[in-house]
Amino acid sequence: MTQTGSIFRLEGVTRRYDDLTALDAIDFEAEQNEYISLLGPSGSGKTSLLRIIAGFEKPDQGRVWFQGQDITDLPAHERGIGFVFQNFALFPHLTVFENVAFGLRNNVDTVPGVEIEKRTRDAIEMVGLAGLEDRVPDQVSGGQKQRVALARTLVMQPKLVLLDEPLGALDANLRDRMQIELRAIRERLDVTFLHVTGSETEALAMGDTVAVLNAGKVIQSGTPDEIYDTPASPDVALFLNRFNIFDGTLKGGHFAGPFGDAPVATARQNAQDRYAIRYDRTQIFDPGAKLPGPALTARFRASEYLGSSIIFLFETEDHKTVEVDHHLSFGDPRDLTVDNEYVLSWDPAKAIVFGKEGSK
Amino acid sequence: MESNVLKPILAVYVALFVLFLYGPFIVLGILSFQQGPEGGPQFPIIEWSTYWYRHLFGMVPPSRIAPLPVGEALIRSLILAFMTMVTATVLGVMAAQAFRRRFRGAGVVFYLIVLGMMVPGVLTGLGTSLLANNVLDIERHWYTTAFVAHVVYTFPFAFLVMLAILNRFDSSVEEASWSLGVSPIRTFRKVTFPLIFPGVLSAMLFAFTLSFDEFPRTLFASGRDQTLPLAIYGTFSVEIHPNIFAFGVMTTLFSFALLAVYGILMGLSVRRAKKMAMQEEIA
Repeated sequence: MTQTGSIFRLEGVTRRYDDLTALDAIDFEAEQNEYISLLGPSGSGKTSLLRIIAGFEKPDQGRVWFQGQDITDLPAHERGIGFVFQNFALFPHLTVFENVAFGLRNNVDTVPGVEIEKRTRDAIEMVGLAGLEDRVPDQVSGGQKQRVALARTLVMQPKLVLLDEPLGALDANLRDRMQIELRAIRERLDVTFLHVTGSETEALAMGDTVAVLNAGKVIQSGTPDEIYDTPASPDVALFLNRFNIFDGTLKGGHFAGPFGDAPVATARQNAQDRYAIRYDRTQIFDPGAKLPGPALTARFRASEYLGSSIIFLFETEDHKTVEVDHHLSFGDPRDLTVDNEYVLSWDPAKAIVFGKEGSK
Repeated sequence: MESNVLKPILAVYVALFVLFLYGPFIVLGILSFQQGPEGGPQFPIIEWSTYWYRHLFGMVPPSRIAPLPVGEALIRSLILAFMTMVTATVLGVMAAQAFRRRFRGAGVVFYLIVLGMMVPGVLTGLGTSLLANNVLDIERHWYTTAFVAHVVYTFPFAFLVMLAILNRFDSSVEEASWSLGVSPIRTFRKVTFPLIFPGVLSAMLFAFTLSFDEFPRTLFASGRDQTLPLAIYGTFSVEIHPNIFAFGVMTTLFSFALLAVYGILMGLSVRRAKKMAMQEEIA
């Protein structure tokens, strides 16, 4: 990754809709030539943030900087920031070719016809749509529409492209393929992608940097492995959808929860006491077996086969669902009987603990 | 079982509907082929003839029945309807465009616009004429005061048509255009307008036809020179001859021609896509 400085910066960006605060004084800075995933649940304000950067909406407070220039009051068409919509927003009355050429033809700068032709062909070629130039959007598939939308944006050679859940409208198969292609395209071009998504797997798979947004605030940002291994708060752990999270009390290096008492080496500062253990670090034992750590009694309810791993779903006595992820490369899964009681345990050193007593 | 009862009822309903919709026109159409110049505007048909059509175009020897004084009135009405159509549609599109954003006082403005089609026509006509004569002290003409009255009347129709169209309009295509560096004005021309064009055509059709046969507003507001509906009404006060029926048939055919133009223009905007879809299937 080439670090060449900041491409855009948000300074205290705030957006309110009546009495709802969608974005609460967001500060964020992005390096050039990066793939940034912005992960957030629906209603976290992620689309608002994208629309403010694009210039479709104005922040109530705060400034937006792009390439060292304050663009807060600049209209969208003067920003030179690309935007790929979730619903693609292709021009239905124009062919694929004219969709891609649209920006070059109608831009304030006059681009010579030969160059328009060439750049458009190149962009269509790059996204693998050669041969479909004369079709209209209604005659191409969802994945192809996505490519048209991408080519239409990239042909303008923007320095920053905003992608609003670009894979949300595609089926799972296609989504995986587009993920790979998006990354490949970005690496070929000198451009920063800011990809908004509600899917934790997508965010982790695609981002050089992942920023987690919740209730209008960036609650953590870092590399995917930083986020995955050391979530900064129980909320981040929750969005990653990879952690069993328990309530309890943290006191003097011990956490008392539904699984009894567990020793805690380090804890992170948080308003509530929470204990998080990853699905794939939780193990299943028969009652009475020797355990590596705490003991959580739970009934087996169901399993989900995912190909490379199996997810076992358990229900604790207080009706909380606990998940165990067994990767099949670690051996065959155990044969469990539905509604039987088992004991779940884990190495307490692998747990991530949050609490009032925590540091930082 | 249910359809056994329902079907005959529906059939009768449709028959009645068609009868009332087209009955008057069919009767007029038949009577327009009455023998002339002695035949009157009633059954029975003495003898089938095209006399009244020829009479309309002055192709028969002079008789005691004067030709319909419609020539100039027709031209006036066409010009007036065209002016009204263009003005009302432009205003309608612009106003509806403004209503896409909730602005302060939107509700009041909405009812002010729609009022134009709610107020009784005779009152508007009379009011316009009083305003022109007594307050503004300007002369009444079909192309001034009557034109204004027509626009006030047809503008709300164009506005409501466009409001319905823009209500369903997905503005993300406009935002996409802006994000490609295309100015809002050019975006309207290149993206918004082509997409709302079917609605614009409908608004134009409404404005044209409403203006073309407008009577109560024009009666008082048009001044000395009459429009077509007024000229025709004027002939009723003397005596009715089948030449009016012949003229009615001609204008109805003209309306159908207009509808055909509308249909063709409407079809053109989707034809290209369809044609390509067909080529796709063949290939």
